[in-house]
Order: sequence, then structure tokens, then C-alpha cells
Amino acid sequence: MIEDILSIKDLAREEIKKAKDSKTVQAVRVKFLGKKGILTGKLKSLSSIPNEHRPEYGRVLNEVKTEIEAILKKQEEFFKSAELQNSLKANRIDVTVPGYCIPCGHRHPTSRVLDEIVDVFLSLGFRIEEGPEVELDYYNFEALNMPKDHPARDMQDTFYINEDVVLRTHTSPVQVHVMKKNRPPLRVIAPGKVYRCDADVSHTPMFQQIEGFMVDSHITMSDLKGVLEVFIHQIFGPKTPVRFRPSFFPFTEPSAEIDIGCVICGGTGCRVCKNTGWIEILGAGMINPRVFEMVGYDPEAYTGFAFGMGIERITMLKYGIDDIRLFFENDKRFLEQF
Amino acid sequence: MKASINWLKEFVEFSLTPQEIAETLTMSGLEVEGMEETENDTLLEVNVPPNRPDCLSINGLAREISAVLGLTLKQSRISVSESETVERPAVEIKDPGLCMRYSARIIRGVRIAPAPQRISQRLELHGIRAKNNVVDITNYVLLEMGHPLHAFDLDKLSGGRIVVKQAGSTDKFLSLDNDEKTLSSETLLIWDKEKPVAIAGVMGGLDTEVAGDTVNILLESACFNPVSVRRTSKRLNLSTESSYRFERGADIEGLIKALDRAAHLIAEIAGGKISALADNYPAPFKPVQIPFKFSKINAVLGIDINPQIAEELLTRLGFKIKREGDRHTVVPPCYRQDIRRDIDVIEEIARLYGYDKIPASLPSIRIQSELPAMRNLLRTVTESLRRSGYSEAINFSFLNPSALDKLMLSPEDARRNLIKIKNPLKNEDEALRTTLIPALLENVRLNLSRGEKSLRLFELSKVFLHSGQKLPAEPLRLSAVYLKGADSLSLWQGKHDGFYDLKGALEGLFAELRIEDYSFASEGFREPYLHPGKSCVVRACKIDIGTIGALHPAAAQAFDISGEIYLLELDAEKLLLNIPAGVTYRPLPKYPYVERDMAIVVSTEIKSADVSAAILNAEPDMIESVSLFDIYTGAHIPGGKKSLAFAIRYRAGDRTFTDSEVDLMHTKIIKQLADSFSAELRS
Ligand SMILES: [Zn+2]
Repeated sequence: MIEDILSIKDLAREEIKKAKDSKTVQAVRVKFLGKKGILTGKLKSLSSIPNEHRPEYGRVLNEVKTEIEAILKKQEEFFKSAELQNSLKANRIDVTVPGYCIPCGHRHPTSRVLDEIVDVFLSLGFRIEEGPEVELDYYNFEALNMPKDHPARDMQDTFYINEDVVLRTHTSPVQVHVMKKNRPPLRVIAPGKVYRCDADVSHTPMFQQIEGFMVDSHITMSDLKGVLEVFIHQIFGPKTPVRFRPSFFPFTEPSAEIDIGCVICGGTGCRVCKNTGWIEILGAGMINPRVFEMVGYDPEAYTGFAFGMGIERITMLKYGIDDIRLFFENDKRFLEQF
Repeated sequence: MKASINWLKEFVEFSLTPQEIAETLTMSGLEVEGMEETENDTLLEVNVPPNRPDCLSINGLAREISAVLGLTLKQSRISVSESETVERPAVEIKDPGLCMRYSARIIRGVRIAPAPQRISQRLELHGIRAKNNVVDITNYVLLEMGHPLHAFDLDKLSGGRIVVKQAGSTDKFLSLDNDEKTLSSETLLIWDKEKPVAIAGVMGGLDTEVAGDTVNILLESACFNPVSVRRTSKRLNLSTESSYRFERGADIEGLIKALDRAAHLIAEIAGGKISALADNYPAPFKPVQIPFKFSKINAVLGIDINPQIAEELLTRLGFKIKREGDRHTVVPPCYRQDIRRDIDVIEEIARLYGYDKIPASLPSIRIQSELPAMRNLLRTVTESLRRSGYSEAINFSFLNPSALDKLMLSPEDARRNLIKIKNPLKNEDEALRTTLIPALLENVRLNLSRGEKSLRLFELSKVFLHSGQKLPAEPLRLSAVYLKGADSLSLWQGKHDGFYDLKGALEGLFAELRIEDYSFASEGFREPYLHPGKSCVVRACKIDIGTIGALHPAAAQAFDISGEIYLLELDAEKLLLNIPAGVTYRPLPKYPYVERDMAIVVSTEIKSADVSAAILNAEPDMIESVSLFDIYTGAHIPGGKKSLAFAIRYRAGDRTFTDSEVDLMHTKIIKQLADSFSAELRS
């Protein structure tokens, strides 16, 4: 009787050993331990064993069952692990295929630079104002001390809609609008598109400017220098050399042009700076008392400064772009660089 | 203006190198824009600003250099040996407002010949063509002294006299450039006894030109009204060395000197006897007296400059300072007509003192400013579209009117009511944009021509519309274009219509702006340039804000582009002005949802959004969301039909739904869909 059980054990051991995969092991389990399995049958027939042998028989039977159980489990685990390995090996992807991602679009380089400039002036307490792009001749010229028939008008080639209406040639008319509507103190910047009747490698008929001005009771040219130096050092780096030189604008007096050390050659001289080592980036000055009179301010009570710059020019210098027309072609290969 | 260093040195002795003198001029406000080396000289290209006509000559530049460097200006002694005859030209000014002074001398017995090389070479170096000794001398003196002169052939002046008056009814004049000019009645002319002989301050006439057979000449040195000369020059589109100087303002007090310098040189070089001077000067020049407070220098410039130094700088510039007690009056020299008030004097001091000596200070900053709400929103729009793959484009504001025909806009379309530029650079740019679409299509064309296959661009710019006022309305538009073509996304994308790419970008923008109330309404207005079956109106917060759709094939052909192209144009202000304010927190649901899918078969005409809405409206309090997750046509679906699959989330606020409750609602919805859309459950 006991021998029978032991031979069942050997048989089970033998079959488990021969099994080639987890499926066969499973079949062996069913054959011996299943509901109708050999060993299960023996366990069920335990009651038919004479009383005196039953404990011994039962003990052996359970031992064998535990043993087969253990071998089965071990073998099952072996195959499961092997099969998992195989399935992992079989299931591969090409990790070098590009990921699923909507490629990000790009901000226009001039907008990027404009935002930077705006943020510098916001931090200096300037607020933003805007004005119309189609402007009255009065605001664009006359109120800025450029009466009709004034030779200073030759400095800006103008697009006319009719005798009294122009495409603004600069953002300076915003000065007049703001001053007419508000009393000092004023600290304002005005970005926007401007238009000149001019087109070549360095001129486009439309470009963007940012105007800035400050009016209060004790504003000096020294303040103008301070504000513009902060601005230039933020945009072009703290070591950028800056120089102010006299110039002429009808709406500022004294007027200045501001040069920075050439960012291309570092000041040693190159084509961009015409070998001078300096590049002009800004026009500025103290607001002409005539402009104050035009807007109804007392020129004895207030002083102020104003400045204006071309965004494209600053962008060209920042990124080393050599043709202003690229800004308006919207060539994907250009836009995607920014 | 061009200036020879050697010539300058005849008036002021400086030891600076050409580079140093260029730097000196630039830093005092006369920017040297270029330098040209010649055999034994250097030519400076000086940018003289419009307020400094006094620097439009060698002598003027030398005077400026002498002031800046504190050197002495060599005054050339100008003397004329008049002949014993008492002859004096007869001059009459009829319009003293337009001609403030007219002086002249007659020189009899000149021999016309080429000018000596020292004169003709200098002229050519400075860009003036040599003609003959008399004409060249007038030009030489123009360059040297800055005052325009004109020589007439005296024997061709009828009656030998000069009258200065307007053209009146005379409307034709044959000028020196052998061109018949059409005159306006206001044009100021120089006349002889019977006919016009020169356009005052602009150009002489061909009939009285000094030529090879000329023996006697009349030499003119006058001063004309700047506005009058400028108008004439603009009207004739004729800018000459003479008109350029007169319109900026000539030195009325210095014109005799120039006349005598020229007369002297002519007599010396071409021979002849010089007559007595005619000088018609109705209202002699009165120098301006500017009350000046030295303390104001500091108030404007922010420097503490010693009044003695300021005075010395002004003296160097030829200014006179008069003192009466503590009151000072500054009198600028007659050639500085740009100096009218104290601020002009302060600028002169600053210029000579040196801008670099003005310290930099920062005005006290009250508080940091913030970006205005509108600009902030525009940054949000830009960032949202950028994240959806769209790059920002900036196009010119100009529009070629023919683009509107290509867009097939109807004749009544308001966008055809263009604002036109009187003087466009080219005819294609004669109008201002009323839509951003043509420019974006042009961007597509350019990129296609450069080999790009796909493109996503947007532009945020103003358009210009007639407003009934003097100035047009300038509303802001948001436009976008999507050119669907092979790109890195096509690796992953199914075969969906490109419309949904652009629509998705816009829905992303709505989400970013927290606009929940929006719809795409395929009924109503149709953009003529969009595909009628693939376009619609975009509605946000119950307002029509624009259109979206595929480019019409006929429009694509008109613009000479091909490919799948989708367009969007919105009124950005309408979009941004209706943004709901702020975010309100909604408590999280307490009970779980039950999700059921529903696949129905309906006619292809049925709009999925209508079905979604019907489902939601069937149990508005019980259904939390309805999402379309599959659209299918093909095998097992009859022709003209499509299958729509929705995931419906049921959730109650106060309990967990039981399966039977959900079953009941689900069945009810299916029945309703069958009634309203003839929908059948997909088997
Ligand atoms: Zn350089």
C-alpha cells in the first residue's frame, strides 16, 4: 500500500522532470492533484484503509502530496520565468522612432526681443500705451515740431493716405496722445508698427519701434542716460560699452544718438559697424519745450526725456541677422531658429 | 555733404588724423558716415542734420571744428577791386516776403574757358561736374562758403535788369537742364525786363546760361524764403545744391562775402571788370536775443557746469553774452538760425562740453508696472498657439487689391472698401489690409517654393477698415494657416482631415482662455474662399467671432498654391473681450460615476455635436459628460450612414447609481435618439 504511494510519487517526479513547458506541468498537476487525480483519489479512499494503517498511510500520502506540490511549484515557476523571459525577448519596440509630440511653434524673433524690452521697462515702472498706425499728419509731424514744409520731414519718407492722414513714420505721436490726455508724472513706453516709404537690404516699408518717455518736474538728461544704460545692459549684457553723441530730432532738444560697442566685432571694427567699433541703436533726447507747449504743458514746470528704437535692428544685432527682409518673409526655416 | 580734409585745413589748422577729426565731428553732432582716401587727401562724408545749414560748406565745417577744438578760424580777407565805372545792376524785389535780400554785381569782359585744375578737381572731388571757369567758380564758392550763387549772361538779360516776383500766369520755363518745367502761379522767379530767367533758389534758365560766347555776366547772391523754395523744389521734384541750402536757411548776412569772393575769383581767373554792388535788402536781419538763466543748464542736463565754462563754450561758437545785473542775454551768430530759445543754447553747451561728461543717474522708481490685460491676453494667445505647433508670422500691412478677387469676395463685401496709399512703393502695395488671409497664403506659397511640405503659421495684426471718421478703425485680427503635409507628426497621425488640426489648436486656445461656451456652426455665413463643405463660423460666448475651414480649390488655384490648406480668421478683440473672469472652484464629486458606451448608426448628414447635445439633454442632471470616441464608416455600415460611438458618464450628486437605474436611462436615451435622428443601435 505504502509502496503504491511511493511509486506514484516516483511516477509524478518522473513526469514532472520530463515536462517541457508550463502547460505539460499543468497537465501533470491535473493528473495527480486534480479533482480526479491519482493522488486525490487515494486521499478520497482513505476511509477504506483499515484503522490501524490509516494514520501511517495518511501521513505518507500527505507527505507525498506536499512533495509533489513542491516539485510542481518549482517546475512551474521555472517555466513561467523562462516563458516571461521569452515573451519579453519577443516583444520589442524601436526606441529610436521619434516620440509622439506636437512640435512646438516659434515666437517671431522680433516679438521675442520686444517682450524682453517691454519687461525691462515694466520693471523700471514704465506703463504701456498704444496709438493708431494710420495717424493724422498733426500728431505724426506738426505736434512734434515738424510743421508742413519743414526740411526735417525729409528724414522720414512718408506714406500718405491723403493730405492730412499718414501711415505713422514713428511711434512718437503716442507721446502727444498720452500727454494730451494725462498730466505728469508720466512714464510710458509705446511699441508698434511704423511705416516708411523705403526698401532695401537695411530698410523695409514697415518695421516696429518702441517709444519711451518720462515727464516730471525734475527729469534731466542724466536720468535719460541712466535709464538707457540700464536698458542696454539688460538687453546686451552688463559689459556692453555705451556712448551718447549729439544728434538732431525736431521733437527733442538736446537730442542724442546712442551707440553700443559693436556686438559683432567687439569694437575692433567690422563691416557691420563700418569699422568704427560702434553701432547706433537708439535716438533720444530731452522733450522739446515746443512739444510741451503743443500739448498744453508749462515748459518751465516740466522736463522730460524721450527715446525711440527699432525692434528689428536690435533683434538683428542680438542674433546676428544680416538682412531685415527676413523678418517679413516668414520662411519656416528662419522662424524655427527662434 | 562731402568735405576734403586739405580744404578744411585752409580754414583751420588742426593736427588730428582724418580718423580723429571724423570722431571729433561725430561726437559733436555732425556724424561722419564714411571716409574716402584719395591720392593726397581724405574726403569725409558728413551727415549734416537739417537744422545745421551753416555746416553745409567747408568754411562752416571748419568753423565748427574750430569751436569744438578751441582753435582759431582763419578768416579769408575778401576784397573786391571795383572798376571806376559807376555801373550798378538794377534789381527790384516785388515779393519781399519770398526774397529777403538780393545782391548782385556785373562783371564785364570775362573770357570763358575751362577753370584751372585746382578748382575743377576740387569740384569733381565733391561731386560737382566742372563746366567752365565762371560757373565752376560759383560752385566752388558754394562749397567753400555755403551760399548758392548764380551767374547770368548779362547780354541775354533783356533790359539788363533783374526783377524778383512770382510766376503768375507764366506756366512754362526752360531750365538749365534743358527741360521745360511747369510752374505754379506761386513759384518765385527771377525775371529780366520781360521774361523769367531763373527759378529762384532752385535752377537758372537755359536762355541766359553762361556759355562759351559769354562776355559780360551778372552774378547773383540772394536769400529766398525757405518754405517757398522747398515747395517749388518738391513740386518740381528737383533738388539742387542751391535749393537744398535755401530750404534749410541761408546766411542772409554772409551773402555779400560769398558774392565778393566769387567776383574776385572770376576777375582773377576769367578776367573782367567788377561793377559796384547792388544790394536790395528790404528788412535787415535782427539777431535774436535769448534771455538765459545759467541755472537751467543743470536743471535740464543734470550736470553742475561752471557758468564761466558755459560762457567760454558759447563764445567759441560765436555767441555773444550780454549781462545786465543777474540777467543774461545770449545772442547767437546770424548763421545759427536754429538757435531760437534757451533750450537750444543749452544743447550747444552740452554738445561742446561733451555728452560723455553727463553722469548717468536713475530717476527714483515708484513701483514696477504690469502688462496691461489686453497685452497679457495676447501673450497667452501666442503661447497657446505656439504649443499647438503654430509659429508666429509678421507680414506687411499692405494689400494687393487683386488678392480680394482671388479670395472671390463679393462686390459688396466690406473688406473691399479699401484704404489706399497715395504714394505706394509699388502698385501691389497700394492698399492697407482688410484681412490677413492673403499674406498667410503668400507665406504658404513662399515656403512651398522653398521645398517645405508642411506649415503652421499664425498672425496677430491689425486690419484697416473705413470708419466714417478721419482715421480708419484698426481692429486686431487673429489668423492662422495650416498646410498639411508630411512632417514629424504624420508618423503618428491617422487619416483625419486637416481641418481638425487647426480646429484643435483653436479649441486649445479656448481652453487656455477658459472659454467654455463656444461652437462651430456650419449653418449661416460662408466665406467665399473656404470649401463650403469643410468650413464654418466660429462662435464664442454666443457671438460670431470668425471663420475656419479648408481653402477653396478655386482660391488655391488663384493664389497658385496646392496642397491641403486650412485657414482661420477671428476678430481678436471680440474673442478677448468676452473672456469669463477668473476661476471658480467646483467641489469634487462624492459618488463614483458609471460609464456606458453607446454606438449608434445614423445618416452621415447628422452632426455629432447635435447627437452629443441630445444625449446630454435627455438626462441633464444625471449625465456628467458625453464624449465621442469613434466615428466609423465602411464594412458592416450601410452606405450613407456612419457609426458614432459615445462614452457616457452617469453620476448622481447624492448616491451611487445602481446598474438598473443606469440601464433605464441608457435605454431611454437610445429610444430618444431613434426618434430624433433615426438612430439605430450598432449591432
Ligand atoms: Zn563691428
